[in-house]
Amino acid sequence: MLWAILSGIEGNLSAYEAVLADLRRQRQPIEALYVLGDVIAPTPESIALVEWLRSPQHPNPQPQVCQGWWEEQLLCLHGLGRTPEPTELLERHGTSTAKALWESIPRSVVAWVRSLDFGFFELDCLLIHGSSVSVSEELTPDTPPVQMLDRLLRMDANSLFCGRSGLTFQYTLQEGGIVSTIATLDRPVERQTATVRPRQIIGVGNVGRIPGRATYTLYNPYSNIVEFKTVRYGAGRGFQPRST
Amino acid sequence: MKLAVLSCIHGNYEALNAVLSDIDHQNADKIYCLGDLVGYGPHPNAVVEMIRSLDIPTCQGCWDEDIVEGLNACECSYPSVLAEKRGRLAHEWTQQTIHPEVREYLAQLPLSLRHGDLCFVHGSPHSQHEYLLPNINAFVALERVLSTGANVLFCGHTHVPYIRQLESGQLQVRVYSPGQESARESAQESAKESSRTTKFDAPLKRIVNAGSVGEPRHGRPNATYVLYDTDTEQVTLREVEYDYHKTCADIVAKGLSPIFAWRLAHGLEFAERADDPTHVCER
Repeated sequence: MLWAILSGIEGNLSAYEAVLADLRRQRQPIEALYVLGDVIAPTPESIALVEWLRSPQHPNPQPQVCQGWWEEQLLCLHGLGRTPEPTELLERHGTSTAKALWESIPRSVVAWVRSLDFGFFELDCLLIHGSSVSVSEELTPDTPPVQMLDRLLRMDANSLFCGRSGLTFQYTLQEGGIVSTIATLDRPVERQTATVRPRQIIGVGNVGRIPGRATYTLYNPYSNIVEFKTVRYGAGRGFQPRST
Repeated sequence: MKLAVLSCIHGNYEALNAVLSDIDHQNADKIYCLGDLVGYGPHPNAVVEMIRSLDIPTCQGCWDEDIVEGLNACECSYPSVLAEKRGRLAHEWTQQTIHPEVREYLAQLPLSLRHGDLCFVHGSPHSQHEYLLPNINAFVALERVLSTGANVLFCGHTHVPYIRQLESGQLQVRVYSPGQESARESAQESAKESSRTTKFDAPLKRIVNAGSVGEPRHGRPNATYVLYDTDTEQVTLREVEYDYHKTCADIVAKGLSPIFAWRLAHGLEFAERADDPTHVCER
């Protein structure tokens, strides 16, 4: 039994269809389909994608979707986010993108976005768009080990699946230790040793950002095996979406 | 250079005066303050005026922030409904009592201060509301110091002073990346997959918690603060006796909750410990 973990469809229905077709080709059945945010983007095509996710046609699985960066910015734009202004959206993409996002995504979709979870905790796995600190935080293969470990320890997860960077990677904290001494007013020095058991952070890839190429992740929670998948789609390249 | 670092005065003018006298006797060259000048205590204006008159570099504490931002409606800040109710009353009293210029001063306080390889914050580098308790996971503690780029992190907020040294830290990491390609590269051959194993050795770091001047919770009513010698890197936890009875009487006389006087006299926040005191406010 496998989990399929996706992130960053960004309104690209063709890419999502290609991934679903690839999932149907798997030898092992898909037990759960997780979409770690950034379903939408500032494009009108996002609406059709949201409809697909909300009402999947048989035999496609019902996805479990959590909020991503674009979803959070949409909520901020509507005064429903954690910050009163879409500050990050304006700083990174400017007012024209903010306007496009406002005009592309109708109120009915805003209500759906608001109902989404911030992440999922299943077995010993945290599945979330950014990290346990923030939806905006990008964990990458170059993130310092202590920072990675902290993000796992915040939720006491053994595996953290994230999608913010758009990259596919498996970052395994194999072992470690640290000695610390603590002195208080009443106890001169107390010495402790902390050790680290193996934990991992998985970048699950990005489905919709790069035209013609979608990446996602398969995970077997029973064997702890991670498999990264790349799907080519479009004219003359592997999967042919219905529209072509 | 000898630095004195104090925190969490909480409107306790008697305690602040006693600590300043002690700092004077210790011949400290400079004083840093880690915030929470107001809240719970009966003399918020006098405390702020004293800190300002001495030009003491000060970080903004969680209470200082709450006074500026409005009523603290953050449900994670209090360990119980009763504690939250008392906290709200203390907040309202402080709001009504402080002078406009005091509020303006609290509003412009920085979240952190630097002095060479030393960093000063109220709670943690991530939040004024996060408690760096002495027994938090050592790697979490290390991350907090590393995130500042400093070698020594001074914090308060817990009201219990401590010195924590983090050493001999190491982590072994394996990173596997399948071939990554950008949109520009997609027409070309994708980059080859890579796998690497690295060992990270953490440098020596320290966290120094200054305790609390005005509302100690280490089991005694005495005010606490720390001294740091930048030449020898020696840290000294200081405990200073003062007339806490006077502050307790003023708390009651001003109409604040008598339990604030009770716990001040016991030096303990007994029965008000949160189940998860490391939580971070995400308002």
